[in-house]
Amino acid sequence: MYEFTYIRPGSLPEAAALLASNEGAKPLSGGMTLIPTLKQRLSQPSHLVDITALAALKGIAVVDGRLEIGAATRHIEVATSSVVRQSLPALAALAAGIGDPQVRNRGTMGGSVANNDPAADYPSAVLALGATVHTDRRAIAAEDFFQGMFATALEPGELIVRISFPLAERAAYAKFPHPASGYAMTGVFIAVVGGAVRVAVTGAGPGVFRWTQAETALQARFESAAIADLEVDATDLNADIHAPAAYRANLVRVMALRALETILTSSKGQ
Amino acid sequence: MTFSRLEDRRFVTGAGRYVSDWNFPGQRHAAFLRADRAHARIVSIDIEAARAMPGVRAVITAADTAAAGFRSLPCAAPIPGKGGSALLRPERPVLAADVVRFVGECVVCVVADTAIAAQDAVEAIIVEYEDLPVVMTAEAAVAAGAPQLHPAIPGNVAIEFETGDPLAVAAAFEGAAHVVSLDLHNQRVVGSPMEPKGCLARHDPETGDYFVHVCTQGTTGMRAQLVATTGIPDEHVHIVAEDVGGGFGLRFNAYPEYSAIMLAARLTGAPVRWVASRSEVFLSDEHARGVSSRGEVALDAEGNFLAFRFNFLNDMGAYIAPTGPVVAVLSIRACLAGVYRVPAAVANVRLALTNSVPMAAYRGAGRPVISYMIERLVDQAATELGIDPVELRRRNLIPPTAMPWKTVNGLGYDSGDFPAVLDKALGLADWHGFAARRAEASARGHLRGIGLATFIESTGGGASPDEVEARFGDHGEITIHAVSHSHGQSHETAYAELLAAVLGLPRERFRLRNGDPAVRLAGNPTGGSRTMHGVGSALRVLADDIIAKGRELAARALEAASADIEFHDGVFRISGTDRSVSLDTLIERHAGGPERVFDTRSSARTGSTFPNGCHVAEVEINPATGVVSIERYTAVDDAGNLLNPTIVAGQMHGAIVQGAGQVLGEHAIYDLETGQFLTGSFMDYAMPKAVNVHGLVIADHPVPTPTNVLGVKGVGEAGVTGSLPALMNAILEALRPVGVTHFDMPATPARVWGAIGAARSGEGRRFAHA
Repeated sequence: MYEFTYIRPGSLPEAAALLASNEGAKPLSGGMTLIPTLKQRLSQPSHLVDITALAALKGIAVVDGRLEIGAATRHIEVATSSVVRQSLPALAALAAGIGDPQVRNRGTMGGSVANNDPAADYPSAVLALGATVHTDRRAIAAEDFFQGMFATALEPGELIVRISFPLAERAAYAKFPHPASGYAMTGVFIAVVGGAVRVAVTGAGPGVFRWTQAETALQARFESAAIADLEVDATDLNADIHAPAAYRANLVRVMALRALETILTSSKGQ
Repeated sequence: MTFSRLEDRRFVTGAGRYVSDWNFPGQRHAAFLRADRAHARIVSIDIEAARAMPGVRAVITAADTAAAGFRSLPCAAPIPGKGGSALLRPERPVLAADVVRFVGECVVCVVADTAIAAQDAVEAIIVEYEDLPVVMTAEAAVAAGAPQLHPAIPGNVAIEFETGDPLAVAAAFEGAAHVVSLDLHNQRVVGSPMEPKGCLARHDPETGDYFVHVCTQGTTGMRAQLVATTGIPDEHVHIVAEDVGGGFGLRFNAYPEYSAIMLAARLTGAPVRWVASRSEVFLSDEHARGVSSRGEVALDAEGNFLAFRFNFLNDMGAYIAPTGPVVAVLSIRACLAGVYRVPAAVANVRLALTNSVPMAAYRGAGRPVISYMIERLVDQAATELGIDPVELRRRNLIPPTAMPWKTVNGLGYDSGDFPAVLDKALGLADWHGFAARRAEASARGHLRGIGLATFIESTGGGASPDEVEARFGDHGEITIHAVSHSHGQSHETAYAELLAAVLGLPRERFRLRNGDPAVRLAGNPTGGSRTMHGVGSALRVLADDIIAKGRELAARALEAASADIEFHDGVFRISGTDRSVSLDTLIERHAGGPERVFDTRSSARTGSTFPNGCHVAEVEINPATGVVSIERYTAVDDAGNLLNPTIVAGQMHGAIVQGAGQVLGEHAIYDLETGQFLTGSFMDYAMPKAVNVHGLVIADHPVPTPTNVLGVKGVGEAGVTGSLPALMNAILEALRPVGVTHFDMPATPARVWGAIGAARSGEGRRFAHA
């Protein structure tokens, strides 16, 4: 770790000003990616602007039929929130399966979404649910937000304030954890929002993406048989020392089937 | 709160003392510049900028170690090679001088006021390299025209070793009704102890003494290696160690960093500490296994084994670590034919050098290589001949009536009842109920398999006698000194309970010091599962020596002849009377004062023991994902007499799961083109997790060995030696119904899924190591 200056601003504008006035400054949320990067000396920020205590980034509430979650909300808070569990239980279940207890007690939703690790869990929920990412400057639709591996629509210094989720009629997430890291080797989030089926895949490709073929099939008939025999094109999927692309293509279908199974067997239809 | 082990309160409350817990006034911190490439000539090293950085106290290169008179790191004890050849020993400098030979090799040591300043300075060093071609596998290393690593080792083969009678084997194969062969790869793994290696050195310029606080499995081996490297006289090197957070074999040798830190302490005139990061552990802790092998068995028409023939090609890494050849060669020699009465056997072992981290001992230390080869081969023979694998084993086991058994290459097993161990394991595992469990799994769409291994180990005999010493304190405490260092084996409890039982004193009276420089003892480091039969035997002698002293004192106190004094349950009594005095009382009266009459040093010398077992594994595979789940695992082991069954069970649990780690996913992978290490963190290196293992059943079938006074056999490594073959036999048995005929470790989800897919599509039935 190199030396840096740690600052804890008192307000969102102050945080934004600090980030704007120091070219080497980086926002620090849960730090679940940033801190290991610092420890490995792979990053050398001049300042770390700790935004986790900002009131503007806190809170979980259902407002006007949408679930609003502050960016600094920790995974454990999402997992255990009665509001989330009642309004969007699939999101609570997803949060309960992120990393391990240490990660869930530190990591935040905003940090995960802003980082857009191709194997992170949250991006699949944000994309499948068609959520809106509210920053200190604007509102960005999920479709526009994720732009490939570790790339997002966020401009330098732009901070996520909250994420706004439509309440799905039905939704579930299933993931295959990487045997070493526990990250999603492949995770699939299926959501039915306003009657439309959306299927988002994380972990398998260079960034979160929608499996439109499955969406069409499930829109026609919402049952396992609709996707059980779908072939997933492995062309653009990840291949590495752990698994070939074909394996991840297989996992896309298998995890989609598991998510679907969860929806179909759940008493509340969620 | 009560703890079942004496050391547990310290560990549970965070009161253990590891290398990073030592601190001294004025202490400096070191960091190492490591080679960032696998094979290159060093053209120049520019340290001027680093030297000028704030807080930097010293920048040490090979020029400094040469000036200090440092020599090559020690290699290994001589091992006789085939046809009178000898082990070729490469030079291994503490800091690379002319050539780097693996990614992570130490090049420069920087000492600064803080660890961060030292790391900053490391980044300011500029090394100019001239890249050399790399060779990353043993097969490539021995091929014609391969890049050469060391001038002293032409062809990259350090030794070719042979044990057994090749002519007798050839004759047996000639006349055999059946011959079955199998190629296997036992992949390279990283030991990953919890405590990263580290070292703190202090130098006293007045006396010339060095105090080296270090992760160690035993001070004698550590000190000898540091003396050999640094040239500092033995009496000036003092190893200090208390708790050591894991070792598994890779805390036996003195890493080059330790010698560099000693020099750093002298040059800076300050205590210098260095503790490896986890990244450095991955890049520079000794790795293990990495063996390609071919096994062949000749059988007669009835399925009796006529001969074994084995060929092993070991990837030894870039240098020969002191324990490397011992592991690669001697375990195979000691267990050449396993538990089978086979009239002829031969093994050929070649040790090849590659541009990778040196290989050394890791839990099992060669026994999991030979047991894996034999037990996979036996299963292969059973499959090809259509004989039940249990029946094939039963037909060939050495019967208990044949003990002591002279092995086919002239060594021996002293005791064991292999058929009884097998029967007990089959019963506990409900072997015969497997078909129903498989049918039930099949109904759920899962593949279920069962497999077994009947295996034997040879534990470490030790290079010297094991000395122990008891020192009686002023407050009744008895401090035991011994060499064999605990790095997780519960020595403290085991020793105390052994002495308490014999002496009739509470176990809490005893405390253990392994690495106290004030008490120099002869003895062996922990290794080869030998501590209880080695040090344990010495402790039994020690207890008897203390009783003998007590008897004389009791005779005086009771005014009787010592021959008339009997000792029982802590009390000396004149036979046939009620006149007695307790050992405790005598200790209270006599242990203090200048004479320290009860202080005692004793020793024992023991040979190898031959723990053996039968392990039965039962796995389930989800063909949709390739995930292997261990559903049941039954281990029946003959470890001789058990002194503390809870500790034994803990050793078995840990070792079985360590084996499961290698079977299910642990794999140290280098890039074959560049020699870069690809699995350098726990994000990519898959350690076993609790969820991977269910239903462990641990049982014993003790056949006490006559070779030591306690009748104990080693127990620390049997779990790995059994679990590699048992688990892989079970996995292959699960995969055979879908057409897979061969599978090499590791059984990662992707590889298992790939094998199922390839077999079903007719692309291939063999899933070998890539």
